Amino acid sequence: MAAATGEGRSGLQPYLDSLRRELQAPDPTLLSVLLALLVVGLTLLIWKFIQGRKSSRRAVLLVGLCDSGKTLLFVRLLTGNYRNTQTSITDSSAVYRVNNDKGSSVTLIDLPGHESLRLQFLEKFKAAARAIVFVVDSAAFQREVKDVAEFLYQVLVDCTVLRNAPPLLIACNKQDITMAKSAKLIQQQLEKELNTLRVSRSAAPSTLDSSTSTSGVTAQLGKKGKEFDFSQLPMKVELVECSARGDKAEDGCADIEDLEKWLARIA
Amino acid sequence: MLDFFTIFSKGGLVLWCFQGVRGPAAACTAPVNALIRSVLLQERVGNNSFNHEALTLKYKLDNQFELVFVVGFQKILTLTYVDKLIDDVHKEFRDKYRNEFQQKGTLGLLNGTFDFKEDFLRLLREAEENSKIRAPTAMKTFEQSLKSQKTVKSMIETRGEKPKEKAKNKKNKGSKKEVLGTEAATVPSKAAPDAKQSPSAAAGDREELTKDEILQKNREEFFKKRLKGGEKSNKSPKPETQKEKGKKPRVWDLGNSNAKVLDYSNSTTNGNTDTCPTEEFDPDVALGDQDREPGRLYDLEYESEEEEPEEEKVIQNPSQSSAKKGALGGMFGMLKGLVGSKSLTREDMDSVLEKMKDHLIAKNVAADIAVQLCESVAKKLEGKVMGTFSTVTSTVKQALQESLVQILQPQRRVDVLRDVMDAQGHRRPYVVTFCGVNGVGKSTNLAKISFWLIENGFSVLIAACDTFRAGAVEQLRTHTRRLNALHPPENNGGRTMVQLYEKGYGKDAAAIAMEAISYARNQGFDVVLVDTAGRMQDNAPLMTALAKLIAVNTPDLVLFVGEALVGNEAVDQLVKFNKALADHSMAQTPRLIDGIVLTKFDTIDDKVGAAISMTYITSKPIVFVGTGQTYRDLRSLNVKAVVTALMKA
Repeated sequence: MAAATGEGRSGLQPYLDSLRRELQAPDPTLLSVLLALLVVGLTLLIWKFIQGRKSSRRAVLLVGLCDSGKTLLFVRLLTGNYRNTQTSITDSSAVYRVNNDKGSSVTLIDLPGHESLRLQFLEKFKAAARAIVFVVDSAAFQREVKDVAEFLYQVLVDCTVLRNAPPLLIACNKQDITMAKSAKLIQQQLEKELNTLRVSRSAAPSTLDSSTSTSGVTAQLGKKGKEFDFSQLPMKVELVECSARGDKAEDGCADIEDLEKWLARIA
Repeated sequence: MLDFFTIFSKGGLVLWCFQGVRGPAAACTAPVNALIRSVLLQERVGNNSFNHEALTLKYKLDNQFELVFVVGFQKILTLTYVDKLIDDVHKEFRDKYRNEFQQKGTLGLLNGTFDFKEDFLRLLREAEENSKIRAPTAMKTFEQSLKSQKTVKSMIETRGEKPKEKAKNKKNKGSKKEVLGTEAATVPSKAAPDAKQSPSAAAGDREELTKDEILQKNREEFFKKRLKGGEKSNKSPKPETQKEKGKKPRVWDLGNSNAKVLDYSNSTTNGNTDTCPTEEFDPDVALGDQDREPGRLYDLEYESEEEEPEEEKVIQNPSQSSAKKGALGGMFGMLKGLVGSKSLTREDMDSVLEKMKDHLIAKNVAADIAVQLCESVAKKLEGKVMGTFSTVTSTVKQALQESLVQILQPQRRVDVLRDVMDAQGHRRPYVVTFCGVNGVGKSTNLAKISFWLIENGFSVLIAACDTFRAGAVEQLRTHTRRLNALHPPENNGGRTMVQLYEKGYGKDAAAIAMEAISYARNQGFDVVLVDTAGRMQDNAPLMTALAKLIAVNTPDLVLFVGEALVGNEAVDQLVKFNKALADHSMAQTPRLIDGIVLTKFDTIDDKVGAAISMTYITSKPIVFVGTGQTYRDLRSLNVKAVVTALMKA
């Protein structure tokens, strides 16, 4: 059979005739095999296409510093209940059903915020990120502003994040505390701090993006020669105020409507 | 008696919490967080207790379901039943809620109500009663507790041989000495004093081994040895004298023939040493790679090679067959026991861990730290369910790699430039103090760092506080001259970018540093780099002086300079430096080392273990890495590069 096709391809008219005869024969084995292969190939292609479309980037990452309230926010979003939490050692993930008419769902992933873990886990999940929620402790913001900015900078200049440009939400958590800073102030301060970081970091690159820094190019944040602000970024950045703890702590419900709305939009 | 008992998932959810004392509901959060941050995340899991303020915390990890059990009680109490209690609760809890964990995953944890109080109280009561029964025999309660059994076991496995050997050595030594002391040997007379001395010497060793059996063994062995020692005593003098004869000619041989050849000193150069080649330096050579963008710190370069899989011990993974059998409930457990367990046990890992430990030590990680790291990895993996197609070796390797990355990840923000800018905004100089042992490259790297700062447009004042070593000030003067030649004031708006503050030799370093800082403030310098004299960590007076310098001047950054060549010594150096700073400072919270400069990194190829040793001890970041002879050879640490080099076979 294989010999016949080989000759048919290289040869001339008589061979083509023989090929036609072969195909018209009562037992067209060749044809059926080819057809089967074609079908299998097509199926695989379609499967991969659908699969790739569906599974790629269905995750919403909850990132932020230690003690900013990521895990509680995670619990509140999924169950609505209040739970005591400790410093996370690993990630936890669960499917979150969004409140919109489509009824679509995303995977919510809560990443640990400790210094020695956060980059490792960000590395692990960043490729799957459909959106990123950056949680900030508004009450301790003044004290932590440099650390917050540095981590945000690390998230923003990551090449995978830059390429995928997932929408970013800066959730100013802990608004129930009286001394909490407003979202507007946090935005201003973060922009200012990121502007300075841009300068100091281009002189001393972060240690983890070795792929870019070894070649001597670090991703530039925002536009060069202009004061940095969030609108210069490739992704859409929004800020909301929220309170995962709520006014009445254990019994009350959380004040996270804005966050839920945002999640419904991006899902 | 117990302050609290809490069970939480590794994801950070508190599943159940018992409060033994009245107080705010979140009273246990702070100590537990401290435990997580300073023990679990620092790879110090080896020991299972931890002290936080007035509390002692004991913990247990369940790696299969990713749970952590923590119990806290007052430090002054010696509760013997805690270890048993924690084990019991662990067993009971996971049996009771096994389904929740297995089937529903995270949602199971979120929605599940863990009403464990009654079971816990029952277990607690049982444990307390058990301990009361044992109470009269005070000494035995500790032995019977699980903890003591564990330590004894581990002693038998790992160090069990040593004490015996020690005892042997001591006996041998003792007998030999006597034999040598009095050459004429009369066996019975020697045996008598021997018997008296050695038991007392061996007694110290014996006390460590609390088991009677071991005592018995040791005693038997000792008697055997003693008899042998007596027998040997007749023979031993002969070999001793032979040795002495052999030594002498070897030493003299070398000395006689080669004395002149070995003398390399050249009389002609003696006169010219004063006019050293300072002026004729080539700026290109001093700068090194000119292609690099000025004022930028580059990461260490590395090539990531695909590791070749080593010989791997494959554990038969019965996950497929067990998945079918899972439905059969009870049968499953039995079959699992028969077929072989999926989860990792200590025995599976031991050989791999041993190999990993040797590998780490071969890469120049300090031995103690390699042991602790492997112990910690073992604790983290024990009971963990392995994925399909993964081998023990690969799982352990993966875990170790993660741990290493975790250790090297800075615990503290390190952005010197950002802080310098901040200080500039407050119109005060940013003060950096360099300390370290002799000859590790403090002054050299200080010069490199000042070059880097100048490239970034900051003016630098170097304070020569090494008032001890001859030539230290001259060395810095030379560097200053060169740096000024590279960055002449004309290019910087007439501002001298670097200046040396010197007061000669033999003065008090702390005072010079203080004067330098006030001088810098008046003259508007951005950064003050304080160079201190090198000192060995055991030199108490010098360490006191260093602590004083730091306490008086309160620098913004205290950098410990250590060479990458250092091996086991790294532990001692850093621990003692930190201890000296802590002991001699008057402040409530003593000023310790803030960061590390790792020097001579170009000389070590892939034996990068010192980086791990140093960060593990201090949990402080490596701020700079010195990689060569020129001013540009200053890098920041690349965690990936170091870990890849470490794991490379």
